[in-house]
Amino acid sequence: MIGLEEAVTTLIMVTIPVYVIAFTLYSIRALKGPTIPDTTLAIDAMTYDLAAFLVVLGIFFKSPILIPTAIVLALWVYALDLYVAKYLEAKEMGE
Amino acid sequence: MAGIPLDWLLVWIGGIMIVVGVISDLIASIGMLRFPNFFVRLHAATIGTIWGAFLPLIGAALVAAGSEFLGEYRWFMAGGAVVTAFLILILAPAGSHALARAAYRSKAAKVEPKVVDHLKEFVEVEEK
Repeated sequence: MIGLEEAVTTLIMVTIPVYVIAFTLYSIRALKGPTIPDTTLAIDAMTYDLAAFLVVLGIFFKSPILIPTAIVLALWVYALDLYVAKYLEAKEMGE
Repeated sequence: MAGIPLDWLLVWIGGIMIVVGVISDLIASIGMLRFPNFFVRLHAATIGTIWGAFLPLIGAALVAAGSEFLGEYRWFMAGGAVVTAFLILILAPAGSHALARAAYRSKAAKVEPKVVDHLKEFVEVEEK
């Protein structure tokens, strides 16, 4: 019978490589993306997943300071979406 | 159910949610790389945000609530994870919808494959 801490740490250590592979694939699309919406969509999906990854890492490293970072990331990438959409539609960034 | 302590139950449910979320994340990133154009890639982005970010965040909140070794701050971590999950649940569809609308109206991405495009006639009438 393994302890609770060991079980949680093992679970998260298994998930970290999968997350890293997913981020690599998203980054390839973000760098390759033929148009601006493609790049923005890849960065969008990658950053939402990065927010989830940061919370999981916060449990792994036992550091609560990583949690507010995830909230800021989620809000920031929504602002990126809206700015790019506004620029594409109206060709201006908004004052 | 009688033999399982509550903290182990929380960690099991949360762990299953994290694993399902990670697998969906991998599937979404493969789809993002392999799909042919922007409007098809929106589908992969939806899987990546709701199944790949919302679900593991709820799972991480359950794991943090059940892990007593994290100390007093585990309730802060669980609450922060739930708030982030709620924000992503609301903001991700709104953001990708705005992006899709802008990509269609500015003709930055080609609509393909398509059978019929009724929105095109509507946009052309609106622009005149």
